[in-house]
Amino acid sequence: MKIKAQISMVMNLDKCIGCHTCSITCKNVWTNRQGAEYMYFNNVETKPGIGYPKHWENQEKWKGGWELKNGRLQLRSGNKATRLAKLFYHPDQPEMDDYYEPWTYDYETLITSQRKNHQPIARPRSLITQKRMEIKWGPNWEDDLAAGESARQDYNLQNIAEDITLEFHDLFMKYLPRTCNHCLNPACVAACPSGAIYKRDEDGVVLVSQDGCRGWRHCVPACPYKKVYFNWKTNKAEKCIFCFPRLENGLPTICADTCVGRLRYMGVLLYDMDKVKEVASTPDKGEIYHSMLDILLNPHDPEVIAAAKDAGIPDSWLEAAQNSPVYKMVKEWQVALPLHAEYRTLPMVWYVPPLSPITRRAEADVYLPAVQEMRIPLSYIAELFAAGNVSVVEKVLQRLLDMRMVMRIQETGEKLSRKLEYDLETYQAMYRLMGIAKYKDRFNIPAGLTDETQDKLRELQGSCGYNCPGGC
Amino acid sequence: MNTFFYGVLPYIALTIFIGGTIMRYTLYERNWTTKSSQFLSKKDLKWAGPIFHIGLFMALGGHCMGILVPKFVTEAAGTDEHMYHLMSLAGGLPAAVLFLGGFLWLCKRRFAGNDRLQVNTSTMDKWLYSVLFLTIVSGTVGTVSNIPGGFDYRESISPWFRSLLMMQPDVSLMENIPLVFQLHMLLWMIMAILFPFTRLVHCLSFPFEYLLRSNIIYRKK
Repeated sequence: MKIKAQISMVMNLDKCIGCHTCSITCKNVWTNRQGAEYMYFNNVETKPGIGYPKHWENQEKWKGGWELKNGRLQLRSGNKATRLAKLFYHPDQPEMDDYYEPWTYDYETLITSQRKNHQPIARPRSLITQKRMEIKWGPNWEDDLAAGESARQDYNLQNIAEDITLEFHDLFMKYLPRTCNHCLNPACVAACPSGAIYKRDEDGVVLVSQDGCRGWRHCVPACPYKKVYFNWKTNKAEKCIFCFPRLENGLPTICADTCVGRLRYMGVLLYDMDKVKEVASTPDKGEIYHSMLDILLNPHDPEVIAAAKDAGIPDSWLEAAQNSPVYKMVKEWQVALPLHAEYRTLPMVWYVPPLSPITRRAEADVYLPAVQEMRIPLSYIAELFAAGNVSVVEKVLQRLLDMRMVMRIQETGEKLSRKLEYDLETYQAMYRLMGIAKYKDRFNIPAGLTDETQDKLRELQGSCGYNCPGGC
Repeated sequence: MNTFFYGVLPYIALTIFIGGTIMRYTLYERNWTTKSSQFLSKKDLKWAGPIFHIGLFMALGGHCMGILVPKFVTEAAGTDEHMYHLMSLAGGLPAAVLFLGGFLWLCKRRFAGNDRLQVNTSTMDKWLYSVLFLTIVSGTVGTVSNIPGGFDYRESISPWFRSLLMMQPDVSLMENIPLVFQLHMLLWMIMAILFPFTRLVHCLSFPFEYLLRSNIIYRKK
């Protein structure tokens, strides 16, 4: 047993209102630079939809993540030798139009225009070519199903062979905020020919060394979540850094900190590094989620504590692991699921799947519907969060409903209508963490070894330090 | 004059080539990159990119053979002058076609293709492409014009280059060299001087170590 610590995140989708505050704060801090305008380390998608970049979930197109070949775990994009043959042209790399062409507007014309009969307008201009352009797609084009038909092309719908109607009475939607998942078995790390991408030993944050990166761009298609981006100005890869300078100061990422729905949780997980490959190779993709739970270790177990100390994990980190909101939601209560576990990267950002209003076909006077009666089809949620395993999603949603039932009964004095899975205290704790969601409960991050102050970080805002010295 | 071009300039060029490369690697590794433009436009790159690079590898291999392997070695191996000439043409002509063809195709893509590629083309790139173009063309013209076999570079250029490497430049070998070959010599020296300051440095980063390393990397601070 080789124990490692991982900073991990949970997003409670039940509370996401799709406001994009996370994306905006992230962009303002990390990607408001030339070459990175098109990048969203954090973005929020409306599901169903094809997402950002377009069709990112279609791994037949992008060959992202891992697959089992004759029982052996291998990158979907091929073995090392065939991958090196793709250095001069990578057939599966997305290009700019798969994201969108970034633009600004000619605001000047609003001020400098001559007096005319018609009001002057600011026309869009490409930030790449500096020429006038027609805006055809953007990073959140599908917001609230606004792109219409593209929702039908959602790859998850193909898998469950279910056509959806965009009729108002029957449609459903949900929001999906996405960042880098800081996976335990990251495909981008394995794909990097230069060895420039690595997992930080102390907290598992996946980073691209800007010195080591040679711009071979294999990481971009290899990441099944399309969360590694190619900077067209510096010609190097960049990705979400989990705001590591904030983490080192015991602060949550900027996306989590500023979330107005207070739906993001961050904390430490302990896992057994020796079993990562075995878990990623779980034969049945629907069981990967359960295998992932198995390598997450109980930080209260004396054996685990002893082994963690042997592995050099500091006491402050152990303590944080014992009081980790993420551990509670992921392992103790089992209400949070990994996004697309079938990519076999073992993502460390977890999602509490959303409840949704009852369908119009259900009885109108039901207060709490059965999980099967909800508007978002269970099979759809299962495609996203359980590799198609519907029973996993059913159980999680039932726990969320049970929590609501317990809290309701406390007020109304009604009788319990079904046998509960957990005891009452657990549901109350779930309610406090997920319903009240106080800042200090949502985040438990042990400060790192550096003593940079927050003020120092503010000075660095927007200057990420990625640009070429002297141009190139 | 010959003393400068064939006795001094090569050393200036090689010094800048090696010293500049080391300096860039140690001081500015952050801008050491392939400068891939595939993100901006995939069109035409699928064939042009690999064709250009394959042509380059063939040309590189041919140059190593012709320059670094002394004539008496190939002759001892039983290859007479005529045989050798035929062999070098059999490799050199296809290499020239692929190298030059791929280069022109890439230039068409870059300068007459998608507008976005302009952000990937710096002034230095334009200088580099000009010099590279002339280098490839002079090499190709030299190869083609020498099909009858009048000029034996293995008795002049090759021993001169080896004498350079051994730090005892024999400038006299370079008298009476055809003009196109002289031009080719001047151009490679300019290329060597430009090399550390251009995107070309990526050729030193071919990731052989990828074949040997483990998939997942953990790194301590």
